[in-house]
Amino acid sequence: MQSPFELDRRAFLAMLAAAAPVGSAYAQGTPRKGGILKVSAASNPSSLDPTTGGAGSDHIFLYTMFDTLVAFDYATLQPIPGLAESWTYDDPLTLTLNIRPGVVFHDGTPCDAAAVKENLDRNRFDERSNVKPDLSTVADVAVTGPLQLVLKLKQPDTALPLILSDRAGMMSSPTAFKALGRGHDRAPVGAGPWKFVSWADNERVIVTRHDRYWRAGMPFLDGVEFQVIPEVNTGLRSVIAGQNDFVYFLSPQQKQIIDRAKNLTAVTGPTLYCVQFYINTARGPMGDVRVRQALNHAVDREEFNRATMNGLSEPATLTLPSAHWAFDKQMAQAYPYDPDKARKLLAEAGFKDGLDIQALGYTDQRHVQRQEVLIEQYRKVGIRLKFTNGTIPEMTNAFFVEKKGDIYLSAWTGRPDPSLTYQLMFGAGSFYNASRTEAVPEIGPALLETRRSQDLAGRQKAFAALQKIITENALVVPLVFQFEMDAHGQKVKGYKPNLLGKPKFENVWLEG
Amino acid sequence: MVFLIALFALALTAPVVAPFAPTTQNVNNTLAEPSLQHLLGTDDLGRDVFSRLIHGAPTTLYASFLAVCVACVLGIPVGLLAGFLGGWVDDAISRVIDTLLSFPAIVLAIGVTGALGIGLTNGMISVGIVFSPQLARLVRAQTLVVKQELYVDAARCFGASLWRIILRHIMPNAIQPVIVQITLLLAVALLAEASLSFLGLGVQPPQPSWGAMLARAYNYMEIAPEQMYAPGLAIMFTALAFNTLGEALRVALDPTAKRR
Amino acid sequence: MILLRHGRMIRRRAFQIVPVIILATFVVFGLLQLVPGDIAVTLAGENATDARIQQIRQSYGLDRPFLVQYGTWLWNAVHLDLSRSYLSNEPVLGQILHRFPTSLLIVGGALSLSLLIGIPLGVLAATKSGSKLDTAVTSFASLGVALPNFWLAMILVATFALSWNWFPATGSVALAKDPAKALLHAALPAIALAAGGVAEVARQLRSALIEILSSQYVRTLHAKGLSPMAILWKHGLKNVSVTLLTVIGLLVNRLLGATVVVEAVFAIPGMGSLIVHAAIHKDFPVVQGVVLSMVVIVISLNLLIDLLYTLLDPRVGLK
Repeated sequence: MQSPFELDRRAFLAMLAAAAPVGSAYAQGTPRKGGILKVSAASNPSSLDPTTGGAGSDHIFLYTMFDTLVAFDYATLQPIPGLAESWTYDDPLTLTLNIRPGVVFHDGTPCDAAAVKENLDRNRFDERSNVKPDLSTVADVAVTGPLQLVLKLKQPDTALPLILSDRAGMMSSPTAFKALGRGHDRAPVGAGPWKFVSWADNERVIVTRHDRYWRAGMPFLDGVEFQVIPEVNTGLRSVIAGQNDFVYFLSPQQKQIIDRAKNLTAVTGPTLYCVQFYINTARGPMGDVRVRQALNHAVDREEFNRATMNGLSEPATLTLPSAHWAFDKQMAQAYPYDPDKARKLLAEAGFKDGLDIQALGYTDQRHVQRQEVLIEQYRKVGIRLKFTNGTIPEMTNAFFVEKKGDIYLSAWTGRPDPSLTYQLMFGAGSFYNASRTEAVPEIGPALLETRRSQDLAGRQKAFAALQKIITENALVVPLVFQFEMDAHGQKVKGYKPNLLGKPKFENVWLEG
Repeated sequence: MVFLIALFALALTAPVVAPFAPTTQNVNNTLAEPSLQHLLGTDDLGRDVFSRLIHGAPTTLYASFLAVCVACVLGIPVGLLAGFLGGWVDDAISRVIDTLLSFPAIVLAIGVTGALGIGLTNGMISVGIVFSPQLARLVRAQTLVVKQELYVDAARCFGASLWRIILRHIMPNAIQPVIVQITLLLAVALLAEASLSFLGLGVQPPQPSWGAMLARAYNYMEIAPEQMYAPGLAIMFTALAFNTLGEALRVALDPTAKRR
Repeated sequence: MILLRHGRMIRRRAFQIVPVIILATFVVFGLLQLVPGDIAVTLAGENATDARIQQIRQSYGLDRPFLVQYGTWLWNAVHLDLSRSYLSNEPVLGQILHRFPTSLLIVGGALSLSLLIGIPLGVLAATKSGSKLDTAVTSFASLGVALPNFWLAMILVATFALSWNWFPATGSVALAKDPAKALLHAALPAIALAAGGVAEVARQLRSALIEILSSQYVRTLHAKGLSPMAILWKHGLKNVSVTLLTVIGLLVNRLLGATVVVEAVFAIPGMGSLIVHAAIHKDFPVVQGVVLSMVVIVISLNLLIDLLYTLLDPRVGLK
């Protein structure tokens, strides 16, 4: 059991040890209670129910209202206690969770083992659940004590604790979701530091202090008010003008603007957020490994980083950033910028006169800018990209369901456990694998292996083997890991970025 | 007028006249101030703003003409029919036209573009659909006037077919105000294209258009506010030129207007 | 007697707009049915099963014939239920009513500015016809009509909000919550919108006044020795008010359209951002609701203007 301040210090030390974050002031004095944090939010939530929502950007709202069974260390993403104060693998197929005593939901319902079971069962079986795949390895959930549960697994799965730090581990009040049904999407009841007040679509989400929050003396803030401003430039403008205190998901290009505005603090840190081309290997030329390799050789990631990220992000060679514990240095060198080689590979594949590729993307200016850089880079090797743009749900559907488009310029927002990342992107039948099949048969066993190993070293080796298969077959074109870029006013204290790249306000306070 | 001719010439010869290709990037020279090499500076990807402006001209003009053509194709026949046939047909059509005219045009265009799918062509077809009632109403009114003329009655007495009368007699005599209106509509269509592209519903990359250039400039307003001047001025002066041409045509074609 | 006649006329006119509004709903509903693709598939989201898609189709009534869908929608609309948003499942009417005051403040501000500045300019230009002032006003008006108002909005933001910090760059505040702040937020958007309006009002008023002032009737008055100003006040403006009403009607229509783009520049949560977001995301109930409410506003305003015509000019009523 840790006091919040110990957690703070731990995270603080860990941050120092990890890649040094730029420009963030950490010597911030004594926390003070009170005040409302006004946040410029990048998008309207898809739902405020963690089970039914689908957008990766929902978490920033959800974290304020929902605590997770397992928490994660900000800097390393290692699992740490959350609503479950401890967990053990009794054998590879049995995971025991011990729930923290004295936790209550916003509506007064106790968060005990029975409530957790109801949540996990809902996540696994409810027809509107979006987290079924996350819990696919769970065979059964049994309550073995007022505060103890045992999860029986279908196959060894060491990724589960971190999976329970994501949506699947966010606990809602069973009383509320049973009474409200679909309505829980818009009137959520969790056990997090703040409770839901109101949600006006595309406009505002307001949360206020949960007086019976389990962490003594927390939270510092009386409430958080999110104002939805989809255009991040406008969002930043609202913070510069003092209408809001905090803005996140900024583009690294906006660093110049933040630096110029003297009343702002910029916060950056590495994240798992990978800007990349998804490839549908089931479509014509995309089935040819030489074409996919050409796609990887033809892109100048350094230039892309400079042009679209102000040089403030990490050029991506694998689906994991170099700071991550499972990063494999050897494979990272596989695809240097080499237009001649790209042209040669294309010619070998039978596309001497160039190749037309149908790409999907998004309409906003940031993405359009990325597209323009890539169109120009690929043009130089004879690849003619033709983009069709739309909204995120529309294009995600077009690429992964309707199988339109050869490649898709989007991003992978990262998952707490990397095995999930690889499973979802390359596993057979997975939604984010547009071909729905394993591009090469070795992927399946390699994936299983990453979940079987118990210790970190063993898992690292398993991931290295998996990354080798994926990289050699060029199943994806990673471009850059976007650094988290947030800006806040001077009175905001105690904010720290995390490797997941989705801001949490649990330790934030406002100076008087 | 001179401005418009120059603009058309520029639009047709854009690839030759422009000093750079509109997509050539240089990420080491972004948001540069105007210089001898880059007359209007460079944009966020180091592309020559002057060249993009020139290359944006054909896109912008194509969009305006497309919208107005759609408006003509839909509006003129409907107006002719209503005016010529009269009776309940006229009543019904007029009622529809009046209804459509009470829609705020750009709002309807946004809704229809969303439905048809995002893109310049779809956007301008929507704008054209939305503009067509304006033309239809004008053509109807003109047809009503011309219909009363003696030679139309004469033609009818000779047993000329409906379409023959419309094409040979009514169209040529009713066309003058329509031409004026078309010129004025070109200006409105131009502004509509800019608005749609600004909202991201119009032109798609890497095609340059003035509205899209403004949308990008909006993103760099704090760092490089000067980016938004050139495309905005280009839009304004072209719209002004179409308006002036329209007014000039009105005066030239309408003898009663000369009084003023 | 006069009141009675007007009462009857109001009733008749009010009755006439009903079919127009119904026709408008049909047009809106029909156009949006042209959509390619299946909205249910998109709505179902990532990882959706076929059964889930079918269920969505049923729950939104998307599997029923067009006319049935339209009939149901219209029937509900008559009962002030504009159905629910596909995206948020919130009632559309609630969203519109929530956002309407914001847009109303901007459009109302722009309209007032247009009249406050446009009328004096038009009058001045007409009385000093041919002078340098007239030329200045006329050229200003031509520029104003050609000026893209979202561009003006951007220039205003860059200058007055970002460089000088006089006005807020984004957002809005409810008038009821804090009137001073609300007006401060609405100022720049209203000015950006008003530019075209000022130009339009000045231009129309100028030509209408010149026509009247050059008429035989006014020339007679002039010959009788009345000063030009007196003529203008007593006869010119009264006669010109019909023109003014027409311009206001057109202007409101145009301002409602233009506010859509200007709201985007200022990130104002009004009707404009509502419809843009809905159109991009194919949230048709919202698109239909917003367009319909705007049409109803314009049509009602036109009705009001028609009635005012009759008050100002009895001849219209007798027709």
